[in-house]
Amino acid sequence: MTTMSAESMLLIGESGVGKTHYGAQLLKRLLNTNGHFRMNGAATNLEPFEATMECLNDGRSAAHTPTPSYIDSVWPIIDSGCDTFTLVWPDYGGEQIKTLLSTRRVPSAWRARVATASAWMLMLRLHQLRVSDDLLSKPLATLAEGEAGEKSADKLIQPSDQARMIELLQILLYLRGNGVGEAANIPQLCLLLSCWDELGQPEPPQAMLRRQLPMLSDFITSNWKSPIVLGLSALERPLDKIVPDEEYITRGPEQFGYIVLPDGTTTPDLTFPLAVLLEHTEQNP
Amino acid sequence: MKECPLDTCFVPDTTCALGHLSLKDCSKWTGQEKSDTAQTESDDEIVLPWSGSALGRTDIGFVGGRRAPTMIGVVGPENAGKTSLLAAWYLLIGRGAAVSKRHVVAGSFTLTGWEAVARSMQWAPGTLPEFPAHTSTRGGRGQGLLHLAFREDGDRLRDYLFTDAPGLWFQKWAINEQAPDAKGARWIAENADAFVLTADCAALAGTDRGSARSALQLLARRLGANRRCRPVTLVWTKSDIPVADSMQAAVRDAVRSQIPDFEELKVSVQAPPDDTAGFGTGLTDLLKHTLQIRRLTQVLPPSRAKTDDPLFLFGARS
Repeated sequence: MTTMSAESMLLIGESGVGKTHYGAQLLKRLLNTNGHFRMNGAATNLEPFEATMECLNDGRSAAHTPTPSYIDSVWPIIDSGCDTFTLVWPDYGGEQIKTLLSTRRVPSAWRARVATASAWMLMLRLHQLRVSDDLLSKPLATLAEGEAGEKSADKLIQPSDQARMIELLQILLYLRGNGVGEAANIPQLCLLLSCWDELGQPEPPQAMLRRQLPMLSDFITSNWKSPIVLGLSALERPLDKIVPDEEYITRGPEQFGYIVLPDGTTTPDLTFPLAVLLEHTEQNP
Repeated sequence: MKECPLDTCFVPDTTCALGHLSLKDCSKWTGQEKSDTAQTESDDEIVLPWSGSALGRTDIGFVGGRRAPTMIGVVGPENAGKTSLLAAWYLLIGRGAAVSKRHVVAGSFTLTGWEAVARSMQWAPGTLPEFPAHTSTRGGRGQGLLHLAFREDGDRLRDYLFTDAPGLWFQKWAINEQAPDAKGARWIAENADAFVLTADCAALAGTDRGSARSALQLLARRLGANRRCRPVTLVWTKSDIPVADSMQAAVRDAVRSQIPDFEELKVSVQAPPDDTAGFGTGLTDLLKHTLQIRRLTQVLPPSRAKTDDPLFLFGARS
C-alpha cells in the first residue's frame, strides 16, 4: 500500500453550476464504495453536504450554498489498488467567484487555496453559457444609425461568458505565480461540463466545449498541455426543490449520475475525474 | 495605505508595479501616508495588476515584462472603421473563426477593453447591433492599447498590442507633425512595429470623396516619412462599397510613392453574397497577415575574427 500526501483540489465554479450537488453525490459514491475510490475512514466535516444529501435522499434538489460560506471537507480515500490519500474538497457560494472578478481584489484565503492546490477542477454549465450572435454571424439588412455613439459609450460593459471564464483562469494563473501563457508547472486542469443532461447533444465533451465556447477552448488548449474535458450529470435528471422524485427515493441518489468520458461514452463512476486528475498529478508532481 | 513615488505605479488602484504582492517588500515604497480615501482595501487582499480595460502607456511594462510585444498601429482618419476592424477581429476570435493551428489565442489582459469595442456589434435583447461608437479623444470608451497573446505553432507565445486611437489624432498629425493634439499619433508612429493604414471606401465613394482622398494622401505621406522601414498594410475598409477605379488608383499611387513596399487587403463586415460562414470579407486574412508581421531586427555585421571563442569575437583584427 502506498500512502500519498494530501491532494487539495481547487474546485472552481460560478453560482449554479452544481458544485454542492456534485460534492454530495461524490461523497455518496465514496461512502457506498461504488467507484474506483472509497472512503477510508471518516471525513472531517460533512456539514456542507449534509443538507444536500438529505434533499437528494428525499428526491429533491438542494438550496443554494450561502455566498460567504467556504468550508474545506477533508476526505481520507483509498482506491482499488489500496493507495490511500487525503482529498480536500471545498464547498462555497459561487458568488465568491463573481465578486473576485468584479472587485479584482483577491482575499488571502483564495490566494492560499490557489497556491496550494495540486489540481484545478473547473465546472462549467454550458447550458447557461453562450456566444452571442453579432453583425458578422447574423448581419442586419439595415444598420441602426444615428444615436449609435452615445448608447455604446455609456453602456456598462458586462463581459461575455467566455471573457469572464478566461479572465478567471488568468487571475488564477497569476496568483499561482505563473504568467498567462507560461505552460510549465501549472496545476493540471479538469473541465467538468456540468448538467450534461440539459444539453441533449451526443458530441464528446471537448467538441461540445469547442462548439459552444471556442475562445475559451482555444485559451485552455494553448495554456495547458493536456487539459481533461469531461461531461458531468451529477443528478442525471432535473430535480425539483419541492416535488420529490419517487425513483430517487426508492433507488437512492447514488444510483443516479454519470460522467461523460472524452470519447463520448458514459460511466456511472462519479469519482472518475478524481482518478484522472490524480493520475496526471502523479505523473507531473 | 502608503503612496508610491514611482510614476508608473498606481497603488492602490492596481498592485505594485514592481510586482511585490506586499508593499512592505517594495524598495521604492517610501512609507508616506496616502491622504485620499483608498483605505477600503483590506490588508490581506491583493489588487490585480491589470484592470481588463485598454492599456495605457504605463501599463505596457506589465505585458512587456515577459517579452516585448508586437505593437500594431491602426492608423486612419475619423470614421474609417479602425475600431470596427478591431471589434470584428475580437468577435471572430470569440467564435473560433480567426485562429489557425499556427496562431491560437492564449489570453488577453484587456478583455474588458475588447468587449467594450465589440459589444455594440453583438445582438442583445432589446437592442440592435451597430458599429462601435466614435473613439473619443477623452472620456467614454477611451483610446488605448488592446492586448492579445497567441500561442504560435503550439510553442512560442507572442504578445500583440493593437492601438485603438481616435482618427482625429491622425488627421491633426497628417497636417502638422507637431500638432499639440497629435501627441498620441506621434507616439504610435514612434513605437508601433507595423501599421495598418485604413482607407475608408464609404468616404472615398461618398459626396466628400475629394477631401477624403486628400486627407488619406496626406496621412500616407506623413506615415511614409515616419515609418522607418516598418511594414505598412493598406486596408480598404467597408470594401463592400464600390470605389471608382480612378480613386483607388489615386490613393494607391499616393501610398506607393511614400511606401513602395506596402501590402494591400480589402475588408468588410459584409460577406460576399454566396458566403454563409459569417466571417465577413478579408477580416481573417488581414488578422493572419498581421500576426505574421515580425519586428524589424538589427543585423550585426559579420565578424572577422578567426577564433570561435566568444570572448575574442568582437574587436579582433583579421
